[in-house]
This record gives sequence, structure tokens and C-alpha cells, in this order.
Amino acid sequence: MKKFKFLIWLIFIVNSGFLYSQGSEELLSQCISTSGKDATYLKDFTINLPEATNQQRPPVSKNSIILRKNTSYRFTVCTEDNSKSEPIIQLYDTQRLIASTFDKKTGKCYKSFNFHCSKTGPYNIFFYFKDGKKGSAIGILSYVKK
Amino acid sequence: MKYKVIIILLLVIPTIILSCSTNNKRRAEKSFILPDSLEDVPSQLHEEAMAGIIGNLASPVEVAAMLNELGVPFYQQLPASTKKVNTLQTNFEKAMALGALGADLGYLNIYNKNTRIIDYISSIKYLTDELNVGQFFDFNTLKRLCENKHMLDSLMFQSVYSFNQMNTFLEKTGRRNTSTLVVTGLWLEGFYIATQISKSDPKPELIESIGEQKIILKDLFSLLENYEDDSTFKELYQSLENLTKIYEGVEITYETGEPETFENENGMLEIIQNEKSIVHISIDQVENIIKETEKIRNQFINL
Repeated sequence: MKKFKFLIWLIFIVNSGFLYSQGSEELLSQCISTSGKDATYLKDFTINLPEATNQQRPPVSKNSIILRKNTSYRFTVCTEDNSKSEPIIQLYDTQRLIASTFDKKTGKCYKSFNFHCSKTGPYNIFFYFKDGKKGSAIGILSYVKK
Repeated sequence: MKYKVIIILLLVIPTIILSCSTNNKRRAEKSFILPDSLEDVPSQLHEEAMAGIIGNLASPVEVAAMLNELGVPFYQQLPASTKKVNTLQTNFEKAMALGALGADLGYLNIYNKNTRIIDYISSIKYLTDELNVGQFFDFNTLKRLCENKHMLDSLMFQSVYSFNQMNTFLEKTGRRNTSTLVVTGLWLEGFYIATQISKSDPKPELIESIGEQKIILKDLFSLLENYEDDSTFKELYQSLENLTKIYEGVEITYETGEPETFENENGMLEIIQNEKSIVHISIDQVENIIKETEKIRNQFINL
């Protein structure tokens, strides 16, 4: 009986991994559609973040990218439709915050933003969930045709 | 007995399907606390950032897209030939060639040259199989997308996505030397195409872009520095060092400015960066860079 229970658990774990993988693929194609017909996919980022513990700042996912002058980029972030948390993108150059999907003044969260780059170099892109909630998302970096 | 077989099948089938999924090679994300600012982050790229940056140091799309937007016509003699792919002997040659053909594929794709693309896809598939990363390139899907000219955007996505997945896999499995070579080949071929075009069509934006490669080359060179003592990499390292030396005279200055943020008529958030980089490069420097790039490309991309 114990062996049987163990096998059932094993089957559950393997299958849930498969379902997660399939869901992630679907989310990626959905997010590519969201990014628009004028956008050409360059890179994607998978984001899986835990919930912030008490008095902790929201956990973030950090990625480094190189952006090129005279190029327009679109940053898009997507979650599952039933997600309870809102993902936020922040773009930093080497020293400071230069763009975000979260407008502090209005409290509005955007799914994407266009960034018109005029300085070639390394940038850092951060993803986190509003109010430090747990969540999974996909971020897309695209090139925007002029 | 029957019961055991069913259990085994239930376990094995999803495992096989899961292992075939291209999504299982995703990079594990690192979590840490959001900083107020990045003032404490050194401007030099550290090891972790370098690993992340490999993925987009050289894009198969961006150089070609820039050329297309500048109104530059397609130069059919510039992409590498695929005829000699089967003659490549070492993994070094194969990895460099894979990167180069990735750049050529992006160039052909942006200019909708779908009749030529199939050769490049076949060659890329051959090289990835040789380098044991063939699982990321679904030849039949790519071929099907290539045969339909309305599916070229999907082909672009699928090929760029496959390169990204492959690089992530190489990083995760401790084969950064291979991903470094693929990225170097990609950058070198894209840069070769751009510099060759600038000889007959020296548009100011193209010349500026050649000058700005100083920044990209610095990062690429930092990657290659890890293999400075590796005999396989030695010649490549020294050649790129020569190119870096030519770039020493190229100056990039910056004009400060605050970013502008507004919502456009479609409700999309737009951010205009007002900090600008300005390239100071002479005609002699451009000519030397073109010559040196051609030499390095022809030496290391044996196609």
C-alpha cells in the first residue's frame, strides 16, 4: 500500500511538471501576441518569485541586457489570467531607474512600455510583483519596427 | 503485472514528453531584495551579469533590422556560404560557424530571402547536432515556416528562441566556452556584414553604429579573457585584442538628460531616453576597423 501511495505521488509530481511546462509555453506565445505585430521577439525571461516575508522588500528577478542606440524596444510582462498578483518591470541603466511599467503617481500598472534607446550599453532589468506577492510571469524583450 | 505496467507507462510517458519540451531548459531565476538604487553596483560587468548578457550580446536580428531600416539593400554575396559546413573539423570551428550562420539567417529573414533560408536552416541543424545541442532546433518546424512566406515572422521568432534556449542550456551545463564561441561568431558575422556595407554605403548611422561596437567589443573581450590561456582560444583572443587596440582611439562621450515618459494615443507607455552617447570616430579608424574585421572574420569563420 505504501509503495502504491508513493507511486501515485510520483505520477502527480511528474505530471504537474509537464503541465507547468506546457502552461509556460502557452504563456510565452500569449505574451508574444500581447507584445504586438510591430514587435520582433528578441529574448524572454521566466519569472518565478516567492512571497515577501514580513517587512521584506518584494523579491525581484534581475537580468542584464545590452541595448543599442537608435533602437526602440518593447518590454512586456504577462501572467496567467487567474493570477492574483501584478508583475512590474523596472529598467535601470548602470546607476539609476529609467523606466517602469508601474506609474507611482497614478498607481497604474501597464503590461508593457516602449523604450527609445539613445545610449548603447549594458542595462539591468528587474521584475517583481506588486505588494511582494508570490507569482510567476514571462517577460519579453522585443525590437519595435519604426 | 498489468497494474505495474500501467503505473510504469503513466510515469514514463509524461517524462518523455517533458524531456522533449523545449521549455525545460529555462534558466533558474535568482531572487534577491530590490535595491533603492543601483549606485553600489560597479560599472564593470561582473561574472553573474556576464552570464546573463551572453544571451543578447549579439542578436541575430538587431544588426539586420538596423540595416533594413536604414534603407540599405540586401547584399547577396555577404552571407557566408553553407557549402563547406560538412568539412569543419573542430568544435571551435563548428561553434563559430554556428554563430555566423545564425547572424546570416537573421539577415536573410529580415530581408525575406526565404528561398535561401532553407540551406542555412539545414546547416544550422547539422552544426547543432554536431555540438550536441540539436534538440533546440526543430528542423521540420523551421522548414515548414520557411516554405510559407507569410510565416517568416514566426520563423524569426522560432530561430531566435532556439538560439536563446541553446545558449541557456550551454550556460547551465557548464559549456560556456561553446556559447562564448557561438556568440562571438554571431557578433563577428553581423559586424562583418555591417562594416562591408559601410564601404559602399557609409551612412552616418552605420558609421556611428560601427563606433559604438567599442562597448559591445569590450564585453565580448571580457568574456574571451576567461579563455586567455586556452590554446584553442589564443589566436581568436589575440585577434580581437588587435581590434580592441584600434578602438582605443575611438571616443564615446555622453550627454546627460532625464528620460521623458508619456502615454501615447493607444494607451501605450512610451519612454524616451534623453541621455545620449556620441561617437567620435575618424575615417582612418573606420577603414582600419573594416580591414581588421574582414581579416578576423575570414580567419575564424571557415565557410
